Amino acid sequence: MIKADSVALRRWRGAAALALGIAMMAPAAPEAGAWTLEEAAAPYRGVTIRTIGESLPPLEALAKMKAKFEARTGIKVVVEMYEHSEAVNKVMLDLNSRRGRYDFILQPHRELGRFVTNGHLVSIDKFMNDPKLRDPSFKPEEVLYQRLWKEISWYAGKPYGFPFTALTMYLWYRADLLNDPKERAGFKAKYGYDMVVPSTWRQYTDLAEWFYRPEKGFYGTAIQGKRHEALWYEWLNFLYSFGGDMMDVKSGSECGPIIVNSPEAVASLEYYKSLIKYSPSDTLNYFWDDAMAVMQQGKVFEVIMWNDSTYAVEDPKVSTVSGRMGFDLIPQGKGGKVGQVEGWTYLIPKYSKNQEAAFLFIQWMMAYDQQLEQHMNGGASARPDVYAAPQVRAIPYSKASMDTNAVAIAKPTIPESPQITDILVRELSEALSGSKTPKQALDRAAVDMHKLLGDCAPMRYPAE
Amino acid sequence: MTVKESGVAGWLVDRGVAPVFLAPSLILLVVLLVGPFVYMVGISFTDLSYALPNHDGNFVGFDNYRRLMRDDPIFWSSFATTLGFVAATVSIESLAGLGLALLLFHHIKRRRFVLTLLLIPMMLAPVAVGLMWKLMLQGEFGMLTHYLRVVGLLGAQTAPLSTLSLVMPTIVLIDAWEWTPFVTLVLLAGMLSLPREPFEAAIMDGAGPLRIFRDITMPLLRTIIALVLLLRGIDAFKEFDKVFILTGGGPGIATELLSIYTWRINFREWDLGYGAVVAFMVYLVVLILCSVFHKAIYWTEARETRR
Repeated sequence: MIKADSVALRRWRGAAALALGIAMMAPAAPEAGAWTLEEAAAPYRGVTIRTIGESLPPLEALAKMKAKFEARTGIKVVVEMYEHSEAVNKVMLDLNSRRGRYDFILQPHRELGRFVTNGHLVSIDKFMNDPKLRDPSFKPEEVLYQRLWKEISWYAGKPYGFPFTALTMYLWYRADLLNDPKERAGFKAKYGYDMVVPSTWRQYTDLAEWFYRPEKGFYGTAIQGKRHEALWYEWLNFLYSFGGDMMDVKSGSECGPIIVNSPEAVASLEYYKSLIKYSPSDTLNYFWDDAMAVMQQGKVFEVIMWNDSTYAVEDPKVSTVSGRMGFDLIPQGKGGKVGQVEGWTYLIPKYSKNQEAAFLFIQWMMAYDQQLEQHMNGGASARPDVYAAPQVRAIPYSKASMDTNAVAIAKPTIPESPQITDILVRELSEALSGSKTPKQALDRAAVDMHKLLGDCAPMRYPAE
Repeated sequence: MTVKESGVAGWLVDRGVAPVFLAPSLILLVVLLVGPFVYMVGISFTDLSYALPNHDGNFVGFDNYRRLMRDDPIFWSSFATTLGFVAATVSIESLAGLGLALLLFHHIKRRRFVLTLLLIPMMLAPVAVGLMWKLMLQGEFGMLTHYLRVVGLLGAQTAPLSTLSLVMPTIVLIDAWEWTPFVTLVLLAGMLSLPREPFEAAIMDGAGPLRIFRDITMPLLRTIIALVLLLRGIDAFKEFDKVFILTGGGPGIATELLSIYTWRINFREWDLGYGAVVAFMVYLVVLILCSVFHKAIYWTEARETRR
C-alpha cells in the first residue's frame, strides 16, 4: 500500500513538474476569463478620480506611483495633499456638503465613526463581492495584519476600506551612545546596572537622567507637550503601558465605562510629566515635528516617535544621527508589551461618482508590489509579507515596527472620538503646564467624556 | 434746513431714483452680512452637528444658550483670557504708539524714513509674524531666547512659550510689536492735521510742553485716539492667527482666546449649533464694547461742548 502510494505520488509529482515547466515556458498571457486590471478598468477608461490626504511621504510615494496605474487603466488619479488638520477638515466639509469631490479619501481612523454613523461611506464589501472588480488574488483576510485592518478600517463589524498606513509609535534611542564604553562605565557606576535598551520605565528614566546635559545642549528625552493631537498620541503609549485605557471596551466602535481617571492612568500621567525635567526647555511647545527635529540634530538621547517619521532620522541628508540610532518597542509597565496604533485608511464616500474606479485603484495599491514600493519610500504597510522582504528587513527600524504592529491596542473610533481627543489634549496640557495635578486633569477629562457620551459611558472611577 | 442737490444728482433724487442706486450695495450687504448673521442665529437654536449622527439641525430652543451660561467653564475662561489680552495689548499699544508719535512729531527730522521702517511689522501677514516669533523664541535654537539668556533675563531652562507665567505676556508683547506702528501712524497723522493757532496762543501765554500736551494736544486728538482704541480693541478681540501658530491655545488653556475656542467648537468638534452660540456671544460682546465706547466718547464730547 505504501509502495503503491509512493509510485502514484512520484507519477503525480512528475506530471506536476511537467505542467509547471509548460506553464513557465508559456507567455505570461492571462488564461481565458481570468481577471485583469485592464479589463476591469475598461468601463472607466478616461475617468478622473480624486483623492485627498496628509502631505507626508506615504502619500508622496502614492502620487509618484499612480502613473503606472494610469498607464494600465486609462483612469487618471488626482492627489490633493494637505497638512493633517486641513486634510481632515476639507473631507468633513466635502462629505457634509455631499458634493462628492473626492472619489476616495485618506483619513485617520479616529474619524471613522463620524463618517459611518452619518452615512457618508460605502462599505468595501460592495466591491469585494463584485467579481468584475475584485482581483481574486487579493485576499485581505490573509495578507493584512488582521488586528490592524480591523482597528483601522472596520467599524461595528463591517469593513469600510484598507489601511493606507499602519502608524505606530516606538522607542528611538541613540545606539552609539548606548554602546559607548565610557558612558556605559559611568552609567553602571551611578545606577548599579548595565546600560541597556530600556525595557522598563525605570530604565527609561535613568537613561533620560544620565544623558540630561543641558549645559552641553544635550537632553535625555523630549516629550511632545504642545496642546496638539501629538500630545494625546504620545501619552497613549504611557497610558497603555501602565495598564490603563480611556474606556473599558473591546473594540473602537463600542461605547463603555470611562476609566481614563483610573489609578493606572493617573500614574501614567504623573510619570509622563516627570519626563519634562529631562527634556529641552521648550518641550511643552513641541509636537511631532519639533521632537523629530531635535532628534535629527543629535540633541536628544531617546524619544517615543512614529514609525512613518523614522526614515527621516535615518536619512543622512536631513539627519546628523543617521546610522547611529536604535529602535525598539516602548518600555513595559503593568500593561506589558503594547503599542499605540493610528492608521490612515482608504475610504470611499457615498457621494463619489466613480466609486468602482476608486476601488480598482485602492485594490491595486494594496497589492504586494505597490505596498513594498510605498513602504520603501516612507510608507508603513499593514501587510506582514512586506516586512518579510529582504530590503525591508534590512531597514534598521523594521523589527520595531513589526513588533509594535503585533501588539497594537485599539482606540475609540466612535463618532465622539475626535471630541474625546480634544478633551484629553486640553486636560493633558493643563497637567503638564502645572495648572492642574494629573489626578485633577484626568478627573475633569472623565467628567467631560461622560457628559459627551451620556449613559453608555458611566464613570468607573468617581471624580474628586 | 436741507441742502438741495443740484444738477443731475438733484434731478435724480427729486424723482426718487436714489434707492435704485443704493440697491446693489444694500443687496450685497444683506447677502454677505445680514443673511449669514440671521442664519447663524437660527442655527444657534438647533442641535446641528457634522460629527454626531441624528444631529441634523433639530430645534432645541435655548438649550445651547443655557449650556453656554451654566455649563461651559472653558468658554468663560477663554472670555476672561481674551478680555485680559485686549486690555493689555490696547493699553501698551496706545501708550507706546502715542509716545512714538510724539517723538516723531517733535524730535525726528527724517520722519518719513523712520515711519517707513516702523511700519514693516504691520505689513507682515499675521501667520508670518507668528512663525517668525516662534522661531526666534524657540527654546533650543531661538535667537532671541539665546540673547535673553545671555543678558540674564531668561533662565537657562526657561522657554517663553512653554512657561505658564511667561506665555501670555510674551504674546501681548508680540502683538504690541506688530500693531504699535499702526497706532503711531494714525496718531501722527492726527497731530500733523491739528491747527497751529491754539498751540501758538498757548506758547504766547507761557504754557509749558506738558500743559500744552495735556490741555491742547490730547483734547484735540481725543476723537482720533478713540478711533484707534476702538479699532485695536475690536482687532485684538478677534486675534487668532498669531496665537494659534505660537501656542495653539496652550499650555493648558493659558492662551485660549475666544476666537481659538470658537474655531475649536466649530471646526474641530463640528458642533455647529453650539458653535453658533459661541460666535454670537463674541459678536454680542464686540457690539456692546463698541456701543459703550462710542457712547462714552460722545458723552465726554457733549460734556466738553456744554462747558
